[in-house]
Amino acid sequence: MIQEVRVIAKDGIPDSKGEEVLYEINQALGIKSVEKVKTARVFRFEGVQEEQAVLLAEKLLAEDVFEFFSVNKPVFSDAPFVLEVAYKPGVMNPEAASLLKSASDLGINGLLAADSAWQYAFYGHRISQSDIDRIINSLLVNATVEYVVKESPATLLIQGTPGQTTVVPLRDMNDDQLLELSRDKLFLNLQEMKVIQNHFNLLGRDPTDCEIEIIAQTWSEHCGHKTFKAKLIVDGKEKRPLLKRLRDTTEKLGHPLVLSAFVDNSGVMDFYEGMAICGKVETHNSPSAIEPYGGAMTGSGGVFRDIAGTGLGAKVIASTDMFCFAPPDLPETEIPPGCLHPHYLLRRVVAGVRDYGNRMGIPTNNGSVHFHSDFRAKPTVIVGAYGILPAQACRKGQPQPGDLVVAMGGRTGRDGIHGATFSSGEMTDRTIEVNASAVQIGHPIEEKRMFDAILTAREDGLIRAITDCGAGGFASAVGEMGSETGARIALDRAPLKYPGLAPWEILLSESQERMVLAVAPENAGRLFEICRGYNVEATVLGEFTGDGYFSATYHDREVMRLSMEFLHDGLPQRIMKAAWQKPSFAEPEIEPASDWNSLFQRVLSQLNVCSKEPIVRLYDHGVQGTSALPPYAGVNWDGPNDAVILTPLLGRTYGMVISHGLNPVLNQIDPYFGSLWAAAEAVANAVAAGADHREMVLIDNFIWPFPDEELLGALDLAVDACVDFSSATGMPFISGKDSLSSTYRGKDGSVIKIPPVLCVSAFGRIQDVSLTVSTDFKKAGSQIVLVGFRNTAEMAGSVYYQILGYTGNNLPKLNPSLLNEVFTAVHKAAASGILQACHDISEGGLAAALAEMCFGGGLGAKITVPGGEQAEQFFFNETAGCFLAELPAGANPGLIFGQVPCTKIGETIDACEISATRSGDLLFSLRLDDLKQAWQRPMKEVFR
Amino acid sequence: MKKPGVCVLRTDGINCDEETFYAFEKAGAACSMVHVNQLRSGEEKLSSYHILALPGGFSYGDDVHSGKILAVELTSFLKDQLSAFVDSGKLIIGICNGFQVLVRTGLLPDRKLGEISTTLMFNDSSHFECRWTNLLVEHTNCVFTKNLEGSVISVQVAHGEGKFYTDRDTLQEIENRGQVVFRYVGNDNSPTVLYPANPNGSLNALAGLCDTTGRIMGMMPHPERYVERTQHPNWRRMPGNTVPHGFAIFKNAVAYAREM
Repeated sequence: MIQEVRVIAKDGIPDSKGEEVLYEINQALGIKSVEKVKTARVFRFEGVQEEQAVLLAEKLLAEDVFEFFSVNKPVFSDAPFVLEVAYKPGVMNPEAASLLKSASDLGINGLLAADSAWQYAFYGHRISQSDIDRIINSLLVNATVEYVVKESPATLLIQGTPGQTTVVPLRDMNDDQLLELSRDKLFLNLQEMKVIQNHFNLLGRDPTDCEIEIIAQTWSEHCGHKTFKAKLIVDGKEKRPLLKRLRDTTEKLGHPLVLSAFVDNSGVMDFYEGMAICGKVETHNSPSAIEPYGGAMTGSGGVFRDIAGTGLGAKVIASTDMFCFAPPDLPETEIPPGCLHPHYLLRRVVAGVRDYGNRMGIPTNNGSVHFHSDFRAKPTVIVGAYGILPAQACRKGQPQPGDLVVAMGGRTGRDGIHGATFSSGEMTDRTIEVNASAVQIGHPIEEKRMFDAILTAREDGLIRAITDCGAGGFASAVGEMGSETGARIALDRAPLKYPGLAPWEILLSESQERMVLAVAPENAGRLFEICRGYNVEATVLGEFTGDGYFSATYHDREVMRLSMEFLHDGLPQRIMKAAWQKPSFAEPEIEPASDWNSLFQRVLSQLNVCSKEPIVRLYDHGVQGTSALPPYAGVNWDGPNDAVILTPLLGRTYGMVISHGLNPVLNQIDPYFGSLWAAAEAVANAVAAGADHREMVLIDNFIWPFPDEELLGALDLAVDACVDFSSATGMPFISGKDSLSSTYRGKDGSVIKIPPVLCVSAFGRIQDVSLTVSTDFKKAGSQIVLVGFRNTAEMAGSVYYQILGYTGNNLPKLNPSLLNEVFTAVHKAAASGILQACHDISEGGLAAALAEMCFGGGLGAKITVPGGEQAEQFFFNETAGCFLAELPAGANPGLIFGQVPCTKIGETIDACEISATRSGDLLFSLRLDDLKQAWQRPMKEVFR
Repeated sequence: MKKPGVCVLRTDGINCDEETFYAFEKAGAACSMVHVNQLRSGEEKLSSYHILALPGGFSYGDDVHSGKILAVELTSFLKDQLSAFVDSGKLIIGICNGFQVLVRTGLLPDRKLGEISTTLMFNDSSHFECRWTNLLVEHTNCVFTKNLEGSVISVQVAHGEGKFYTDRDTLQEIENRGQVVFRYVGNDNSPTVLYPANPNGSLNALAGLCDTTGRIMGMMPHPERYVERTQHPNWRRMPGNTVPHGFAIFKNAVAYAREM
């Protein structure tokens, strides 16, 4: 029998979870009939008696100071609606392991299984069943992983008979049958299916399900990057594959600080004192679209493992997050079937990033959120991670025949099956239904203790090679690591979360928090000892061979034997056509602003400009004690900085700078100049903080709609922009990722494409953080100087145009060689110590940059619009690579910035206002308080 | 001069161990990272150390309640060692998750292992909050805040369950005995229950607490995150010779331990 313990807060104690849920019900769902929500924890224990449950309640579950418990009795008797939400059986509940541990610590024997859930009681006389149904479906229950508990389960133990390995009669299939097999499951095209068919024809046998699944996984767009490796025919002319262009450029630059580019789980550059730093940026769009909390969590977990699996193992020191959503106030009717509302998505994605990073103790300190209604088709969720490791450990060893294949960390379950292939498919109204198993809930504590063990093992020299289990699970990790040698694994040795998995599921499962190591046999004993010390499970799955085959057995029966050569090199190169047509957008008629106060407030409260502070406050951005430039600072802690600077070696002056840039709207107008803008913005953010771009490297992330001819043409231009930027500035790309499936296809034939996203991330080193700069104005009476090249008539894609309801065509056309000069000049000024504050210009233009510098410093500004400038263009142009600098009164800007254009546009004042004059006439005088309120309001409303 | 030994306790989910280690080392201590498994197995003994530091993090995922699983583990397996450690006049500091653990073992406020009389519950805002706060240092016999009494220090909080709560009588007793070490203050440097200066809604604006001997202290904010000048968000606005506000807490502990 199962013992049930319920715990609620005593009367008079605030039920903060209940209040949070009530707020969501009233605000996000607009259901006003619910007047109060109370919550209770529900704990279930199998295999113990009632008196042991009472002991558990008293010693572990309820604290008499503020809580009340009941055993095997309901706690809510007076509410019209009570409902319990639990994880579905088979979805790992991280709390269960803690319950088992504590019970054992308390000397309670015989406990077989434990689980926990939440119960909600809804109060209000007018609540209808349809209200409750909406609360369930839109707020409390994500049917992918959770369910409403209607009656107590008879058992908590999950049972199952292992599935069998079946042979797929591939050789006899006609084209239709091949396509049917591929649909919803393998996501390969007919040509690829036929290559596989031909391979098995030659072998004279049919493949097993293990074999067909691992090929589909390895050849998926997600893992195989077929588009980026394709032969391109652009406007009828052949061009080098996209990936090759990026890699060739990096190779040609031969940057002296780059230690490893594109070959490892992250890119690595030299730091100081024998240490190296590394960075990786990933997307997790597809899982986040259907289960945003779990999707964002596992996105973070995965990119952290990329860092931990770099070289011989790195320590993760920072996390970044860049999101694109539809506006959170989009009417419900505009959400396509099968998609989730952006308000819910935004809050849940943020919660996922928060809970994974905070629990791991990794500061999340750089990021941004962008909004455009076309992201209702699929959100863009980009998560980055950065690490530090000894430079001499920055390259993996080559596994030797006889080395052990060791699996480490979490157990394998059915979760996450088909993640790699699913991510490569487009979003449809069937997506949520068909791919429910493709997402899971992360377990950051499992990952944290695994990383602790890995770093200890690395220190002891026990690791030959290491990689993470990401998309494709063991199949991908072992397949890649053993590609040169071959590997043989026994799938029945993998520790499972519950019985019942078929061999192919064990092979392909994407259960989180697992890594694979190559370990010399003589080091295995010590490795296992370390793992035990950290409560980490480690298992020998098999060994690396010398036969060039990837083979697997299940209870001594061979279920897979594929040549590594076919697996990794058998995928035919695609030949793809690309042709981009420049779109034409309507142009607004600009009328001189009549109400500058309202105009400023509309720009500052535009979603892409407004303060994101409420999100940042949810992330622990100070853990590890390394912050030397935080996301927000200034006299009231609310002025945003452009980049983050860390001192990963505590007590040393060495800084690591991290920043990024993206602008989806500009990419819609012109992907070449939009992409240049993204790269320029990424670097300008770091340079504004005092970094030297010559000591920095870049990471690309392309998040594109499905690449038809038109969009492949756009991608081609975006890659050209990256190459041109890289060549002109000398900054190499050393890591990157593409995700080319952000198109939605509805049953009714409707198609929605997201605006193409290129997110450029930048990181680098700074010798002495004391020569870095924040954005907050420091002193009244300083000069405010505008630095950089800009043509203010280039207004297309700006926030100003967007609030007028236009996109426009004349976008900022950046010149990377000139940018290079500006970056050099601004860094030189920072290094001389004369820059008091500096902020780069981006969304919202000079106006937003100026206002933010005033907010941070608690000072005002008096601006003179230069003669010949149109005031709206002057304030709202968004040319990247331009800066506002605070210089001491009397300093000579021309001497400081040299040949680069620089203009004194005003000065700081000891008053809470921003005023501007043109040709001697007062244009406006605006109160800072009003502006700040407008700027802070939107995210405060979403995040309370 | 011999360096006092600090046991920096780790377990699954502890994640402020390295900066706590660094802060104590900088203050002149000799630190060891000790996993709770090593104490359970007998490989390590608390008696080898002068100071026990319980760092921040999410021990065992903060399942059930923050710090609860670790507190149960300590009171089940290490009760005797802990009692002996406390009785011999040694020091214990719990920061953030460590404070939650101290409260849930009963070591705070009354050094009664296994008896819980106060709690740290969900923030009134119901969410995790990371921000810099100002704390008034109260006049107490707390070893860790010697010579800081009456000053206001700036430190970061980062927690979701930091609201100090207990019944009225217990709170009054804690106040009467002068056990409140830190209080959140507003811009006027007076204690406040208002968000965000008080980030969690703590009763009496309590941010940190010691036992009656002043040798066991717990606090929600993170002093170990401010032992270097550049760790403060606004160090560029401050004089170059500003002493990081968290550092004195570790210096005091080490100085006291040296006299043991």
